[in-house]
Amino acid sequence: MRKKIRFQNTKAETAVYFCASLTGLLLIWYLAVRYTNLNKVMPSPFEVFAFVGSSFVKNIGSRILPFHILASLKRVFVGYFLACIIGIPLGIIMGCSRTGKAVIKPIFELLRPIPGLAWIPLAILWFGIGESSKYFIICVSAIVSIILNSYSGASQVDPILTGAAKMLGARPIQIFFYITLPSSVPQIFAGLQVGLSSSWMAVIAAEMIRASEGAGWIITTGMESGNTVQILSGMISIGLVGLLLASLLRLMERGLCAWNIQGK
Amino acid sequence: MEHSGKIKKDAMILCDHVSKSFVNGNETAEVLKDITLSVEENEFVVILGPGQCGKTTLVNILAGLERASGGEVTVNGKKVTDPEPERGVVYQKTALFPWLTVEGNVGFGPKMAGVPKKERKERTKHYIELVGLSGFEKSYPIKLSGGMRQRVGIARAYCNNPSVLLMDEPFGHLDAQTRYLMQEEVERIWSQDKRTVIFVTNNIEEAVYLADRIVLLSNCPTTVRNEFKIDLQRPRDNMSSEFLRLREEIGRHVEMTR
Ligand SMILES: Nc1ncnc2c1ncn2[C@@H]1O[C@H](COP(=O)(O)OP(=O)(O)OP(=O)(O)O)[C@@H](O)[C@H]1O
Ligand SMILES: [Mg+2]
Repeated sequence: MRKKIRFQNTKAETAVYFCASLTGLLLIWYLAVRYTNLNKVMPSPFEVFAFVGSSFVKNIGSRILPFHILASLKRVFVGYFLACIIGIPLGIIMGCSRTGKAVIKPIFELLRPIPGLAWIPLAILWFGIGESSKYFIICVSAIVSIILNSYSGASQVDPILTGAAKMLGARPIQIFFYITLPSSVPQIFAGLQVGLSSSWMAVIAAEMIRASEGAGWIITTGMESGNTVQILSGMISIGLVGLLLASLLRLMERGLCAWNIQGK
Repeated sequence: MEHSGKIKKDAMILCDHVSKSFVNGNETAEVLKDITLSVEENEFVVILGPGQCGKTTLVNILAGLERASGGEVTVNGKKVTDPEPERGVVYQKTALFPWLTVEGNVGFGPKMAGVPKKERKERTKHYIELVGLSGFEKSYPIKLSGGMRQRVGIARAYCNNPSVLLMDEPFGHLDAQTRYLMQEEVERIWSQDKRTVIFVTNNIEEAVYLADRIVLLSNCPTTVRNEFKIDLQRPRDNMSSEFLRLREEIGRHVEMTR
């Protein structure tokens, strides 16, 4: 469905709209700061961009901006990776085995409404305030949608296709690898997509508690020193990196799910 | 020429008093009612029936994809309970694997059976050529037209080399010209390399062109209405007077089932 809407616009048109909307936002921001009282609480966009630019060479705290972002990214990758290697198999087992589902589903239904951030206190008690508790928080935040989507992908395999595979001589284990897995891939990717943005949000929250570097740390120290320029720089970096991560994953999905994409 | 559905106990396929009802909540729809028919080895049987009379349901039961509510199906004396590679199915709504290319779909059966890659490639190529899809080996089903998908389904069933072929209105979505071509093709393959074929259609001309024997079904709840032995020389000429005469006669019987 989504693709149909996307392909109505040409790539060039989409790019033009993208730039126009960003320019519009910046313009409103600039005008509001320039001509209203907002300038008491907000810096102008130019100040923020200048800060972001200079922080590529000048330290914020102990390091330059790219290294702060790398520190956050490293945490995300560890936590997210854990969530993937635990969540995908767990979801798939739940989806294709009735016993698996009966055992795991009730536990999961109970854990599901608890947001990842609610695990922060426990994480700190269990793992201290070091890196492991951050990994844990990120992992729990991402794992929910990863499990859920892998589960629904594996449980919604078209019985006509499994029948066709049996008719062609596939044994149960072959049906799992050649039918269940590939037909769940698009759903699994949907879960990975949501999980990635959840874990990127979780790392910021985790860093706001206690850290000495990272994108979340930039915001918190900005708040402590009343530096709105630094806060906004941190926020913008977070937005841009999040966007980049999501696009990377979408690119990967396109490669892996080419069969699922209509059009040329 | 006509004979009532008397069952031969030594036939390859026995469909013995098969009935099927679908239960939906507290409603029961009786679709098949006491269907009895037998198919000899290497016989080409066409099942001719009106729309929505339960032809697909019957094929699914013969394939083992669905369970009968009553009666049983045996193939070579063995009761049918599950789908098996000895009974290949060409689906009415093509059940291609969307994540596999044409090549991947056609070669799926041999791959599952562990046929070495080189031999598999050759076999796949052969059947893709046979259904006229050369050049589309690497295309995904989503990019193909309905008729092309159907031909992939046919190639996939043939490539797995089943001893029984169940074909459920395989040419339903084809245009008239391709349909004639495919009929000739199916007849040619069958003549060269004999199999037992059960072919479902609602097209009388197609039935007369292909069948050794036509099994005419009634309306829902469906039973076997009549059987016709077709003794014409193959390949048949669908303009010959004998052909037209048979076609008209069966047409009259079909009218009566309405
Ligand atoms: N799984 C099912 N549950 C309930 N009813 C079903 C089911 N499958 C088929 N039916 C009903 O059984 C009847 C026969 O269906 P079937 O698809 O076997 O007929 P058909 O002769 O193959 O039709 P067509 O000419 O469209 O191919 C239809 O009325 C259909 O609604
Ligand atoms: Mg049908």
